[in-house]
Amino acid sequence: ADVVLKASHQWPGGKGDVRDEMVQILAREVAKANVGVEIKVYPGQSLFKANEQWGAMTKGQLDISAFPLDYASGRHPQFSATLMPGLVRNHDRAGRLNTSPFMDDIKKIVNDAGVVVIADAWLAGGFASKKQCITSPETMQGQVTRAAGPAFEQMLVGAGGSISSMPSSEIYTGLQTGVLDAANTSSGSFVSYRLYEQTTCLTAPGANALWFMYEPILMSKRSWDKLSAEQQDALMAAGKVAQDYFAAEAKGLDDKMIKAFKDAGVEVVEMSPEDYDAWLAIAKETSYKNFSENVPGGEELIAKALAVD
Amino acid sequence: MSFYINAVSAVSRFFGLIAMVLTGSAALVVTHMVIVRYFLGGSTVWQTEYVIYALVAATFLGSPYVLLNKGHVNVDLLQLRAGPVPRRIMQTLSALAGIAFCALLAWSGWIYFHEAWSYGWRTSTVWAIPLWIPLLPLPVGVGLMVLQYIAEIMKIHGGAR
Amino acid sequence: MTPMLWGAGVLVALLALLAVGTPIAFALGLVSILALILADGWGSVSILGETFFGGLASFGLVSIPMFILMGAAVASSPAGKDLYEALDRWLNRVPGGLVLSNLGACSIFAALSGSSPATCAAIGKMGIPEMTKRGYPNEIAAGSIAAGGTLGILIPPSVTMIVYGIATETSIGRLFLAGLLPGFMLTVLFMAWTIYDCRRRGVGLDMLGRRFSFRERLEVLPRVLPFLGIIAAILYVLYGGVATPSEAAGVGALFCLIFVAVIYRLWKLSLYSSLFRDTLKESVMIMMIIGASELFSFALSSLFITQTIAEWISLLDVNKWVLMAIINAFLLFAGFFLPPVAVILMTAPILLPIIIQAGFDPYWFAVILTINMEIGLITPPVGLNLYVINGIAPNITLGEILRGSLPYVGCMVVGIVLLCLMPEIALWLPNLLMGPAL
Ligand code: NA
Ligand code: NA
Repeated sequence: ADVVLKASHQWPGGKGDVRDEMVQILAREVAKANVGVEIKVYPGQSLFKANEQWGAMTKGQLDISAFPLDYASGRHPQFSATLMPGLVRNHDRAGRLNTSPFMDDIKKIVNDAGVVVIADAWLAGGFASKKQCITSPETMQGQVTRAAGPAFEQMLVGAGGSISSMPSSEIYTGLQTGVLDAANTSSGSFVSYRLYEQTTCLTAPGANALWFMYEPILMSKRSWDKLSAEQQDALMAAGKVAQDYFAAEAKGLDDKMIKAFKDAGVEVVEMSPEDYDAWLAIAKETSYKNFSENVPGGEELIAKALAVD
Repeated sequence: MSFYINAVSAVSRFFGLIAMVLTGSAALVVTHMVIVRYFLGGSTVWQTEYVIYALVAATFLGSPYVLLNKGHVNVDLLQLRAGPVPRRIMQTLSALAGIAFCALLAWSGWIYFHEAWSYGWRTSTVWAIPLWIPLLPLPVGVGLMVLQYIAEIMKIHGGAR
Repeated sequence: MTPMLWGAGVLVALLALLAVGTPIAFALGLVSILALILADGWGSVSILGETFFGGLASFGLVSIPMFILMGAAVASSPAGKDLYEALDRWLNRVPGGLVLSNLGACSIFAALSGSSPATCAAIGKMGIPEMTKRGYPNEIAAGSIAAGGTLGILIPPSVTMIVYGIATETSIGRLFLAGLLPGFMLTVLFMAWTIYDCRRRGVGLDMLGRRFSFRERLEVLPRVLPFLGIIAAILYVLYGGVATPSEAAGVGALFCLIFVAVIYRLWKLSLYSSLFRDTLKESVMIMMIIGASELFSFALSSLFITQTIAEWISLLDVNKWVLMAIINAFLLFAGFFLPPVAVILMTAPILLPIIIQAGFDPYWFAVILTINMEIGLITPPVGLNLYVINGIAPNITLGEILRGSLPYVGCMVVGIVLLCLMPEIALWLPNLLMGPAL
């Protein structure tokens, strides 16, 4: 091939992880298009650490990444909106969000930073506890929880929980040794870290999920600009295939998680619309409020996201 | 020459002292965090990050002092067996390699620090401190490494006398 | 250029830089960045800072300086001497009691220190003169302490295990547990050999220095028990759900500092400045190697060297035990020249996928690797413990230390073979306390 592109992500390679599969599909489809582009995939942080991928893309040192956008929120605080409690609610709404003014704003910031979005992806997640099922905010009281991202931490503290931050790979030991009572992460991580062995109740995403995270496939604008129009088209077409594959699989991930927990004898619950509204009320007082006050354009972003039906 | 050596070594010792204080403070803060979280049941917001960045800072700021005390471990097998002239050549070469790497790292670290400073980047946690604060020890400490290495080369070639 | 050619180039450049005596951290870093510049252009320099910084900024690594501080605090006090003396007073009527107290003190001290040279120095300062005084040959006195000291990185806490855990993303708590029984096993093997060797040479094993009254036995305990208490507390904290290894390390370090101050009434500023200086020297050295290894494994991966070697070995299709023997030989060889932390960081990203693919357990392998590294600590040309003993016992020649240490290398090889035959020695305890690994 004339052009070799490096694609990096943090998930295990070749083991059926959907995000790895998305990147592999991209690589296969681009190869099939026969436009002189080869994509080399580096899974499992074997090239860049998860957090370092963004900076490397903006500098043109990394070409492609499947990247949880919130990881770059230290540089672009607006990205916190892509891991903000209660902004997405369910997979159908995630699909509508992708083409909304909210995502237009986010993607404009992405582009201005020198990065191109190749494929959209929203992952759902939930809560699991060894103490008490987490549904309404009151159930959070007194539970030591590992949350994913500061916006969630602010909301959970607002509900009376306490927070212990650690990498997702340490959640299992944390629960087992009693350092943690509960954890909040993606459906995929719940299964791959076998958290069903250490918990007694799972709050599955269902129709009222608080936890969604935007994990698109991104490409460095510098690498993008070096491609011919034909190559760019092939890449976008491949991205579309990857995105459609993911949309079909995303719900399947939740089902897989529910099955794993049920098989392990763990109680599985969902949040009711009332629970969801109660959490949203707390989020408005905590994470949304912080976000609106501290992030330029934050208030508008939240309003635009909530306006999507 | 000996003025340069003395001045740089004094600066290295000063930063070494800061690095020791940072290391001690990390033990205090970790203990504080454990007490707050497990015995008082409270949330810990800043402790984890403080401890990480304090020890990273101790590493960078303490590195010139460790170089001064010949603490960066190397394989000195050939150096010990060689005669005085080849030994001096080898010591100079290894110091030049050290300078080359430290200069590149300090330069790159400076760029990273400068970006964080001028774009107002923050750490992506609840504490959300400006990223330039934990980044500053990298160009400072590793930059001082270059100066300390130059002093070491002077010593090899008799500057200490 | 093919990945294998790149690999050969990187290896040659690295060996050349190491040979002239470049510090390991800077040799690794320079080779990596030069390879990246040659392959991808000057732009590569732009990611140097973030990669190096990112490699160090992790909560897991916090435990390294903290455990080093803990070991330095205990080593700077007379605690090692007291520990040794307590064991001696209690065991001195038992045949071979001196051997047992020496190696026993090493293994107990190992539970307070993450590093082997520290263990060696703390016990050797008292143990070696005591052994020679009672007529043990220099070789046995020096060799048994040099070997006993290596237990510092096998019996938890262990800086080597922490580094392995970070490099391979395995659980540090589980790694610590995996090292515990093999650590005891090696202690027993060392004791058995020493007693056998003494018999063989006709050295009396029941030579009493003096008799101790029951009161004399009791009066050493108050100074020793607090440190045994810290060992117990750390184990409880780690496995009883109070804190993560990094947290346990920080708390343990602070408590050891306080105990040293309170029990020994050591309030001199010079003591603290020297123990913090020792801590800084060791932890900065290790952390810089860790940061540079981050660049090194990035360069190897970016140039597809890691992936190509792994693929190449998986295609070799040899018996998994032949593979294990080759890996052991390789690790031993690397250990002759390089310190444990450097060997682990440079080889783990390449070896681990191969190990797992061949069906070996990563926690079991950590123990095998650590014992290999222990051997490296008492073999020339770069055997850190040999030089430590040389420093604290100037009247014993390096040759005697070396000859004395060699039989213990044999003990460790026996230990590795036993672990291969019965992996449960390493895996039983972690599985019992923490459930099966992920
Ligand atoms: Na130890
Ligand atoms: Na060696």
